[in-house]
Amino acid sequence: MLVLTRGRDESIVIGDGIEITVVEIKGDKVRLGITAPASVPVHRKEIWLAIRDANVAAAGSAGIDAAAAELLKKKKEGGGKS
Amino acid sequence: MTVFETRRFGTLSIPDVDFYTFAGGLPGFPGLSRFVLLPNPGGGPFQWLQSAERPELAFAVCDPLLFAPDYRAEVRSEDLADLGLSKLEEGFVLVILTVPADPKKMTANLLGPLVFSPGTMKVRQVVQGKSPSLARVPVFGGAPC
Repeated sequence: MLVLTRGRDESIVIGDGIEITVVEIKGDKVRLGITAPASVPVHRKEIWLAIRDANVAAAGSAGIDAAAAELLKKKKEGGGKS
Repeated sequence: MTVFETRRFGTLSIPDVDFYTFAGGLPGFPGLSRFVLLPNPGGGPFQWLQSAERPELAFAVCDPLLFAPDYRAEVRSEDLADLGLSKLEEGFVLVILTVPADPKKMTANLLGPLVFSPGTMKVRQVVQGKSPSLARVPVFGGAPC
């Protein structure tokens, strides 16, 4: 990992078109401003990890079989009973 | 027309205009972009988002309002514009389901809903800036796992 020290209002440039700026430093929190093309997703890491893990788990799904379809249909029809 | 193999549906032959392109990528699946929405062969209120590039990859997806009637995806204007939507209502939102061995433990990813734009045939997994537990919301109630 590349470690750089930046102060307030200082920036880091990544590749072509990605820039990270230190907007504010307050106590032990740093507010970062990120400029990136719309095609580049930018997220807090724990959020990104949660999505990635959920995507991977979903891809390995046991498979929606008749039972799951039935359950979902019951839910749609206004269940409360499962 | 694109002909491709799928594990769940066999060989498919789909017109190119029917493929959605993923804008912004899918965390966990870098480099994949072409997907097609297919109805579930056994019927029921969900569909399959099948990858054109990986035969074994298909996500079960459904309308989040089915089990979360107050759910509304928050989409930044830049993301809407990138999808070619002037407002969310011009497109539609589906969420990815994780189905374990016990289908009653099915969860939905409300943290990264999929926003589809049929006009431009683009889809984006729009991250909601909320709690990580929203990625695994039980469809049939209970606390998120």
